[in-house]
Amino acid sequence: MNASTTAIDFATQFLRRNRRAERQIITPEGVPLAVELADYGERASAFLIDLTIWLIATIAVLLLLVLTPFHAGGTILVALLLFTAFVVRNLYFIHFELSWYGATPGKRLVGIRVIDRRGGPLLPSAVIARNLTREVEIFIPLGVLISASAAARSGAWEYLMLGAWLACFAGLVFFNRDRMRAGDLIAGTIVIAMPRQRLLGDLVETSARFTFTDRQLQAYGTLELQVLEELLRRPDAPETPTLLRDVCDRICRKIDYKESVPDTEIVIFLRDFYTAQRGYLEREQLFGRRRADKHQTVERRK
Amino acid sequence: MSLQADQDRNGDAKVATLELPAIVLKSTQFRRAREAGWLELEGLVETVEKRGMRTLTPDQLQQLPLLYRSTLSSLSVARAIALDRHLLLYLENLALRAFLAVYSPPARFLESAGKFLRTDFPTAVRSARWHFLIACAALAVGLLVGFWLVAGDEAWFTTLVPSALTDGRGPGSTRASLLEGEIFAPWPGIAVSLGIVANFLFSHNTIVGILTFSFGLAAGIPTIMLLAYQGLTLGAFIALHYNRQLTVDFLGWIAIHGVTEIGAVLLCGAAGLVLADKILFPDRYSRVDSLAMHGRRAAEIAVGAVLMFFVAAILEGVFRQLVASTPWRFTIGALTGIGWLVYFTWPVLARVRASRRPAVRPDLGVGIASTSVT
Repeated sequence: MNASTTAIDFATQFLRRNRRAERQIITPEGVPLAVELADYGERASAFLIDLTIWLIATIAVLLLLVLTPFHAGGTILVALLLFTAFVVRNLYFIHFELSWYGATPGKRLVGIRVIDRRGGPLLPSAVIARNLTREVEIFIPLGVLISASAAARSGAWEYLMLGAWLACFAGLVFFNRDRMRAGDLIAGTIVIAMPRQRLLGDLVETSARFTFTDRQLQAYGTLELQVLEELLRRPDAPETPTLLRDVCDRICRKIDYKESVPDTEIVIFLRDFYTAQRGYLEREQLFGRRRADKHQTVERRK
Repeated sequence: MSLQADQDRNGDAKVATLELPAIVLKSTQFRRAREAGWLELEGLVETVEKRGMRTLTPDQLQQLPLLYRSTLSSLSVARAIALDRHLLLYLENLALRAFLAVYSPPARFLESAGKFLRTDFPTAVRSARWHFLIACAALAVGLLVGFWLVAGDEAWFTTLVPSALTDGRGPGSTRASLLEGEIFAPWPGIAVSLGIVANFLFSHNTIVGILTFSFGLAAGIPTIMLLAYQGLTLGAFIALHYNRQLTVDFLGWIAIHGVTEIGAVLLCGAAGLVLADKILFPDRYSRVDSLAMHGRRAAEIAVGAVLMFFVAAILEGVFRQLVASTPWRFTIGALTGIGWLVYFTWPVLARVRASRRPAVRPDLGVGIASTSVT
């Protein structure tokens, strides 16, 4: 991990208060890539969406079956219902996770997907493994809940034991660092968030109105530079002018900038300062003198 | 850097500031030179994510890995020279999306299913043969104990077998009621048969099977217990019929679907025991990694077993009451048994016949890249 990455992490931590849990995978080319684990909330909402689709699909299939001339009694209908539900949900999850790059419609809507924990391809057997286990984690407990009345009749302790086991199983996702369900554990997968980044313009100016000396540019490090970048990229809000004014004044004080900056030129000043500061720090970095933040002192040779 | 030009442009500004013309920023030049490639890759990846790999033209397909590699190298360079946080985050995101698009091609459902049935399932079962034998042993112990208990005292039957499974059978049944109501009961017609199929399959067998498999995660103890319990129930039933001199007829009645069904239960148990094995004895890997490497194989066995439950249920629902002769029942049972045996060991048999070893070892699904968790 080099110094600049660390600085990015600092800035990220500083800028996004609820920093996501990051894991790293290494591509076959040897480049480490950071992946962000999906939140419990995201996973729950994706699952709820899928559950809704599943229910609708099951009801539709069942209606088709009932409307056929082939008539059957009550118990057979219940059996048919269970059968249809089982087949539809398993085909649904497995099919979409296989053909949509590890994302069911619910997952895609929420923006999360399943990947192999080690960075390898997502194998069909892994998809099957994590979805078959879902039966035990969610649908069988649901069935147990529904048949709780039956529990009263035939030995309640059995159901209690089963319930305890299943609770342990379903709760597994809350008890490990990588937020893996039992199915993820068996399949070797994790669920990650895939926020889509757009490429925005470069903040660097092509010509500078304000100029700064090397001494002035030594006041800050990478972290401060990136915080300033984030500030400049922030969309306009009512409090933006006062915020920029404040930051501008602080910078002037810190670098001992003598002239006063008029209100109309604050943005230009800040962008010029950003440009100069980035140019300086990048050049220093090329010479092997990285500076993570303003507290770090860099050995300089005269 | 042209000091002269700077001073010219800034006229009366302060002296000797080297950083003036921002155009010389290396990171900006770098970005300008490569930006087009990134944007092209982003477009491709987006198409792939939205509409799939197959909508790409041959030309685009050729471009994708090239652009991916060059973006990856851009990322490495940017990490070394650029301090533009947004750029780094963008490149990292793009590289990850492209990586996933390039390295995890989506599988077609039917193709994977075909491959699963042809090679994956039998291979997985063969690799778990020792676990299968342990599962057999657990079931056998349960069976013997159940038989011994109930043969001695039929009061045990009601204790061992839940009322949902007895279907009216028990210590009160007579030889005649068992013969007419169970073993040689008339075929109730297709509708009721299919009802039995679905009901029995999904209220009982599959759930027990999947539970047996998944509880392998708890070091396999519940798996063994479930297997032994299944044996106990079966043993109790056999003893009930043994006491009424119906053993052979009952075994025939069971055999027609039981070979498949009990085979599936045992396979689920074996799959659960594979999980337990890899958790308890992770070899030189961490427990989680060991589980990830072998868990998929175990899941393959479990899925195959669920499919076997299907087959068993169809045999049970259709053939069991249609074929009302014990020798024929045994024949069908034996045929299914031989069929499964051949299915699972076919490559081995073929290899023995051709007496040569396969060049390629089965892929255990170990990932292509190493991992490090920050």
